[in-house]
Amino acid sequence: MTLASAARLGVDPHRDLTDYDPEADLMVLNMGPQHPSTHGVFRVKLYLDGETIVRAVPYVGYLHRGVEKLLEELTFVQATPIVDKNDYVSPMTNEQAINMAFEALLEVEVPRRARYMRTLFAEMSRISSHLLWLATFGVDMGGALGGGTTLFLHCFREREYILDLFELVTGARFHYNTHTIGGNRHDIPAGWAKRVHQALDLIASRVDEYLDLSTKNAIFVARTRGVGTLPAKLALELGITGPILRASGVDHDLRRDAPFHAYDEIDVKVQTEQAGDCLARAHVRIRELSESIRLSKLLVDGLPEGPICGGRPIKNPTQFKAKDGQAYVALETPRGELGTYVIGGGGNKGASPYRLKIRPPSLHALAAMPYLLVGGTISDAVVILGSLDPIMGEADR
Amino acid sequence: MAVDESDRSYEHPLYTTLERMPGLDVATTTIDKLLTWGATNSLWVFPMATSCCGIELMATAASRVDADRMGTIVRGTPRQCDVMVVAGTITVKMAPRVLKLWEQMPEPKWCIAMGSCAISGDFYRDIYSVIPGIDTAIPVDVYIPGCPPNPEQLIAGLMRLQEKVRAVRAGEWAPKEERPETAAMQKTAPSIARVSSPERSQDITLAQLRGAGNLGLGGDMKRKSLPIVTAKAGPPAEASTAATESTEPASPDSAKAEDVED
Amino acid sequence: MLKTEAYRALLESDFGVQEFSDKTPPCIEASEHHRLAATLKERGYTLYGFVAATHMPAVKGAADALELAGHYEVATGLRCPTAGSHIAIWRVRLGLDEELRTLVDLFVGADWQEREQYDLVGVRFADHPDLRRLMLPEDWEGHPLHRDYPIDTPHPPWR
Repeated sequence: MTLASAARLGVDPHRDLTDYDPEADLMVLNMGPQHPSTHGVFRVKLYLDGETIVRAVPYVGYLHRGVEKLLEELTFVQATPIVDKNDYVSPMTNEQAINMAFEALLEVEVPRRARYMRTLFAEMSRISSHLLWLATFGVDMGGALGGGTTLFLHCFREREYILDLFELVTGARFHYNTHTIGGNRHDIPAGWAKRVHQALDLIASRVDEYLDLSTKNAIFVARTRGVGTLPAKLALELGITGPILRASGVDHDLRRDAPFHAYDEIDVKVQTEQAGDCLARAHVRIRELSESIRLSKLLVDGLPEGPICGGRPIKNPTQFKAKDGQAYVALETPRGELGTYVIGGGGNKGASPYRLKIRPPSLHALAAMPYLLVGGTISDAVVILGSLDPIMGEADR
Repeated sequence: MAVDESDRSYEHPLYTTLERMPGLDVATTTIDKLLTWGATNSLWVFPMATSCCGIELMATAASRVDADRMGTIVRGTPRQCDVMVVAGTITVKMAPRVLKLWEQMPEPKWCIAMGSCAISGDFYRDIYSVIPGIDTAIPVDVYIPGCPPNPEQLIAGLMRLQEKVRAVRAGEWAPKEERPETAAMQKTAPSIARVSSPERSQDITLAQLRGAGNLGLGGDMKRKSLPIVTAKAGPPAEASTAATESTEPASPDSAKAEDVED
Repeated sequence: MLKTEAYRALLESDFGVQEFSDKTPPCIEASEHHRLAATLKERGYTLYGFVAATHMPAVKGAADALELAGHYEVATGLRCPTAGSHIAIWRVRLGLDEELRTLVDLFVGADWQEREQYDLVGVRFADHPDLRRLMLPEDWEGHPLHRDYPIDTPHPPWR
């Protein structure tokens, strides 16, 4: 069965083949859920005609931990360390998202210093997330013992500098539990700003090498140019946001368009590309990396003085109560728009949310897999999945 | 324990010859030490990395804390690995896959439970879709606590595993006895008994193995061979019957698919 | 591109919504769900936002018929990707055995999101091409995010 005959028969790349048709002569290759390149536990069943993928059926849910149900039992105060584990490569943005939603529901003010600190942490988290993406993208393309490990080792070394900085503030490498309703819990120690500048200067000097790598290395370009082109209209319909949408030509960034926290006081330069293929997504992320370095330096220099928490100090878990009300708050994570829809008035006499829905950007990105994989080869499948940067903890919650 | 050597018999003529010849057992102990040195310093890791601990596993293999200095490299296939590091939360959907990969690893094999989710399920343990600790399905040798454990802690765990490998190969390993007073301290025990505990029944093990073996080409999720118990299922019955109706048209085809797979 | 006031004006004029509050999104009739989404898509709300379903169990002695019997509340959000990006959110209330018209023909992303809400909450979507479970195994029984589903439901031989 060729692609042309698949189209003639009305075979939809999105639906599972429930009938096994021996005339079709397709080979089924199951990729995942455990696979070195599936970026977590993601499974995709590939129907192959030779080396070409005719149909791809993704399956998710291998990391479904029931976070939304758990958060209905726990109170507002207890939610932060739980959602830390959703998007585990940029945990600051998860905590920020849920606390912003609770603050909108409970109508708690966040002081200016806390807003700046949260934005700074989010930008630094974006740097470490994009570095990790670049590292695993290198491994996807080069393999564990091939040239990809070079990129992996370099980017993880840079990421460790950022994790050290966070460890100085919060005490943990990740899963910080540093945001709270009304602000932050940990304040910045003395001398931290100087260390931030040192670390970011070091990383900035190397980001140029990464951009050179992606524009000048023949193998990188050959494996990513023209591969996995996502048209802008499909991306919008799927609900894809973040670097993937910007690489398809749509100029949309919540930090600039719907600013929250300190983003209305600083100027974010949004990076876009027109091609929509894996190379464009790589370029967008690497340029966002250097943009985040610039923003972090601005923020750490301009940190205002003041209190870091606008809510009352936490004395018992049920102290914040909401009888009713609903709120949807969205912010821009390294993967896209992370939204939290919360309905108040739950158990524990209103100290728990009644329903909490987390809108994960990675799940929307994974829904594009059937459209992007068809027509490519298996090696393209690995590169496309890497360029979509899914985090299964967030997609499955 | 991965390898049970209690019923090994040494009545082979090779061993009796070795015992009788003077000086030859010195050579075998030296060879044994050499082999133990080789085994402990080349523990190839199979990364069963599902969530956040997987990131710290990658960080351990990366530049700052390099696992390769211990000879430990990460391999993608279970057939080449000695150690399975279970890093991350294991869900009900993922557990048969973990067991199947464990069965595919050749002996001698070891298991490290890295992180709180793999040891006990962390705060997810009471959730409907999460396994309360991977040692309800496979036998664990080393537990590394943390959420997530630092890369240095993973290296320390690998070093503890090296000590255990040396002790096992020298015949000096004795499993720790469970003291009744500490057993009483466990307020929340998992609902399925741990692999090492005497209360575990053979039926559970057989059902798990059968479930792992059922994973095939597409028909696995439509098969209802595992007993599923829902306590106080609240939702109306039409939801579940609707789910069965949507799968029924496919069942004659899954019978065909069964002939094709394996 | 509509801002909040224009969105409210649209709802008031075309969809007959009278009550607006700052704390909750506006509520429209279940039969108008698809028409509102199509109208908004024409006006530039082309970025699919989210869909969140909630199970509201029966409340004894409630005045409203839906609240007395138990109902689902489905909130949908669509975003406009141009400058000043505004997200239009609305709610729909459904009986426990009613089906809501799917948005798959307008937004392809609604496919997986509605499947997830069916899987976890139990809301059925009419005309959905492939309504089956997404997060949980296919042979799972029950919908976990129902209010009366116990969180620690056992599942031998794994838990």
